[in-house]
Amino acid sequence: MSATQAEAAVEPGSRASSRGNAAWLRNPDSRFWQTVRAVGMLALFFTVWGLAVRISHSDLFPTPGNVLRGIIELAQKGLLFKYIVASLFRVTWGFTLAVLIGVPVGLVLGWYSRLFQAFNPILQILRPISPIAWIPVAILWFGVSDAAPIFLIFLASVFPITVSAIAAVQNMQPVYLRAAQNFGLSRGELFRRVIFRASLPQIVTGIRIALGVAWLVVVAAEMIAVNSGLGYLIIDARNAGKRYDLVVAGMVMIGFIGLILDFLVRQLEKFDEVRWGYARR
Amino acid sequence: MSLRKTLISVAVGWLVLITLIHAWLNLHLFAARNATGTDQNKFRIGFLPVTCHLTCPVTDFINKQLYGESIFEPVRFNGWPELKEAYLAGYTPATFILAPMAMALREQGVPIKIVYLGHRDGSAVMVHKDSQIYRMEDLRGKRVAVPNRFSNQRLLIFRALKNAHMTIKDIELVEMPPPDMPAALYAKAVDAISSGEPFMGQTELDGYGRVLWLTKDVWPNFISCVLAVHEDMIKNHRDVVQRLVDGIAKSGKWIDKSMDHRMEAAQFVANNYYNQNPRLLSFVLSKPPDRVKYTNLTLRKPDFEEIEELGRESGILKGTAHFEDYTDASFVTDESAVQAYNWEPAKK
Amino acid sequence: MNKELFAAISIRNISMRFPGKPPSEHIDVLENVTASVAHGEFVCLVGPSGCGKSTLLNIVAGFLDATSGKVLVEGEPVRGPDRRRIFVFQENGVFPWLNVRENVGFGLRMQKETERDRIIAHYIDMVGLRGFEDAYPRELSGGMRQRVEIARALAANPDIIYMDEPFGALDFLTRLKMRTDLVRIWQSEKKTILFVTHDIEEAIQLADRVLVMSPRPAMIQEVIDVALPRPRDLDSPGYLEKRDRIFRVMGMSLRVGEAAAA
Repeated sequence: MSATQAEAAVEPGSRASSRGNAAWLRNPDSRFWQTVRAVGMLALFFTVWGLAVRISHSDLFPTPGNVLRGIIELAQKGLLFKYIVASLFRVTWGFTLAVLIGVPVGLVLGWYSRLFQAFNPILQILRPISPIAWIPVAILWFGVSDAAPIFLIFLASVFPITVSAIAAVQNMQPVYLRAAQNFGLSRGELFRRVIFRASLPQIVTGIRIALGVAWLVVVAAEMIAVNSGLGYLIIDARNAGKRYDLVVAGMVMIGFIGLILDFLVRQLEKFDEVRWGYARR
Repeated sequence: MSLRKTLISVAVGWLVLITLIHAWLNLHLFAARNATGTDQNKFRIGFLPVTCHLTCPVTDFINKQLYGESIFEPVRFNGWPELKEAYLAGYTPATFILAPMAMALREQGVPIKIVYLGHRDGSAVMVHKDSQIYRMEDLRGKRVAVPNRFSNQRLLIFRALKNAHMTIKDIELVEMPPPDMPAALYAKAVDAISSGEPFMGQTELDGYGRVLWLTKDVWPNFISCVLAVHEDMIKNHRDVVQRLVDGIAKSGKWIDKSMDHRMEAAQFVANNYYNQNPRLLSFVLSKPPDRVKYTNLTLRKPDFEEIEELGRESGILKGTAHFEDYTDASFVTDESAVQAYNWEPAKK
Repeated sequence: MNKELFAAISIRNISMRFPGKPPSEHIDVLENVTASVAHGEFVCLVGPSGCGKSTLLNIVAGFLDATSGKVLVEGEPVRGPDRRRIFVFQENGVFPWLNVRENVGFGLRMQKETERDRIIAHYIDMVGLRGFEDAYPRELSGGMRQRVEIARALAANPDIIYMDEPFGALDFLTRLKMRTDLVRIWQSEKKTILFVTHDIEEAIQLADRVLVMSPRPAMIQEVIDVALPRPRDLDSPGYLEKRDRIFRVMGMSLRVGEAAAA
């Protein structure tokens, strides 16, 4: 071991990846080890799951192997991709509508205190109502089509976004407003260049939460007689008799896609326009 | 690239992409168009994947085999609430539905008319095979699951309790979706379950369930699910309703004609409509052969008056609607004149 | 004095009263403050903490409405903040979501792009931040952030700059450097500056005239003409004499640890 390699080994937590060979192996916080930890824990989890099922001699609960075979069966029938696409489609539109409506409404309600006084009680009343309770309304208004689940997903996601936007505006540092007014900005410019920009980090947080909620609600939303989607898969598998392997397969896929979605939203936090709000000193 | 540009291009790109793929895969937007819904001949009919509603997919299937297209568009629901709401919203102008539920809706002013029966019998009460419950009296103090307050199973239990000189207070009645019942029985979370087939037969087939009694033992020829349509359908499209009822009647006769027909039905319904195991449907349709029957389906006043009475007693009906209000028996006047479909499956 | 006629800023009998807790017990912060600032002058407002000097500056800048009295800037009464008179805040005035270049160019939307770039580069250079154009405020030190704010104010080409203890959050050495740079910039740009500080030495190092305020309810206790040539020598007797005068006016002792004069 050369002198530089020995140095790299001794320095704790240093990103020595640029020096010495296989330094990524030696650095305990390198990407390699991060992945190992995550994957290792997952593997442990699956093992424990499989063992638990076997030990309890349960006839009904599937093992990870059953679930995997269920997923392959779906893929072979050509349903896997179709279902994933259907659920993604509905979540995409429901969530997009929530952002397009929730952000401007939140900014306006946060800024105009009289509007806030008027509308906030309604908001707080509607917010805790579970999307499942809205199903009859959804069917009545939108019939049995993609529009109904999209509506439910929209309902679930719009509240975290609006509430974050309102909080961001109400908690904004007054100094920014004074400085902006000093430069003679019009009302529209003030909103676009200052209020919106200053609120963006908090709005992104709200978006991250909302996306998680939207994806969570997809099972409930697909209880309305649509005939595709991961949520539908779970509900249909229940009706089909003993296909709990498909039920859990649906759950697993929803979980993994949720992980990917969250990862994607977190990338938003890397942009300069957002990063300033999360910076660690 | 700045956040704004990245976001807009990625977001718009994804929206377009996912919409196109979804439309292609799931909405068949790019496939050959077939007229649905708005076409006068293809109204929608709602059903659940239960054996009681078998005539619905059977009619659809046989019509497609014989004539290349069906009379209607069957829409499968996963639960009673969604089925009912779709009817109320006008999405499904015709639907299979629980008889007491249809009667209750009529009492509430919904313009619903029962035009035919779905089947006779076809229910059961199952207990765990290890339990010591062999008679109705053994259910005292036990927990019994039924699908729905308006279900026939609940009324049947009422009737059975009456016969055994017990009251509803002697047992603990809970409501549970039928698909969850087999697992609940297996785990002994409930002592007895009762719903339509094939969920009852499933517990038998899987070896942990035992029949306490079948419908035919407590109330022979009991009606359960019925075929109902919206009043406006009868007013404006009487001929279409007639064709529907004729088709259902013919299917019923076809199913009951021979065990071979039943087995065939089990295959194509399980695979194409219900997404269930064909073995399960075959079991339910054959052991015993009169577990469920699809003939003798004309509407008769006494049958419904019995339900009205029991419904009042058990508290789900007010008794303000009567046979003439909620039925229209004019579509099949003489059932013996109905001929089964003349279709035989191709020999393999 | 005829100074009033040619004054850039004319403060007349400004009084300010805030509601207290409970609202019936008001707080009189300013009482009958009268002063004026001539074009191109560098005037400092000093006073003890909480005496209302920031409040006065905010009133003059148009962020607050006085309870009574009038402020005329360039002969017109003040109705609100105005882009011809830019305010430099003590901290956090810089927009954290914009980098240095974008901050400095904030008031320049009206200009053509080439002109805007030229102005931005000029002032970034003037405050000594060349090379940091793409940096974000979170990546800069406190002193650098204040430089950005000053550059931003200057780039908008205002007639008057209001400064509210702009160096108050910085360390001693940085403050000294910033004062030197500010004087240099002021000499080349020839703006009117009204500068609030609690630091007596700072006032004398920077200003043409120092307005000394009394404790609450505040009014102008004394106006001191500094009249020293720049660059100011911190050891010169003239400097020390002015400084001592202010100390005495404010009732402060020159000996650390001694009890305050009655």
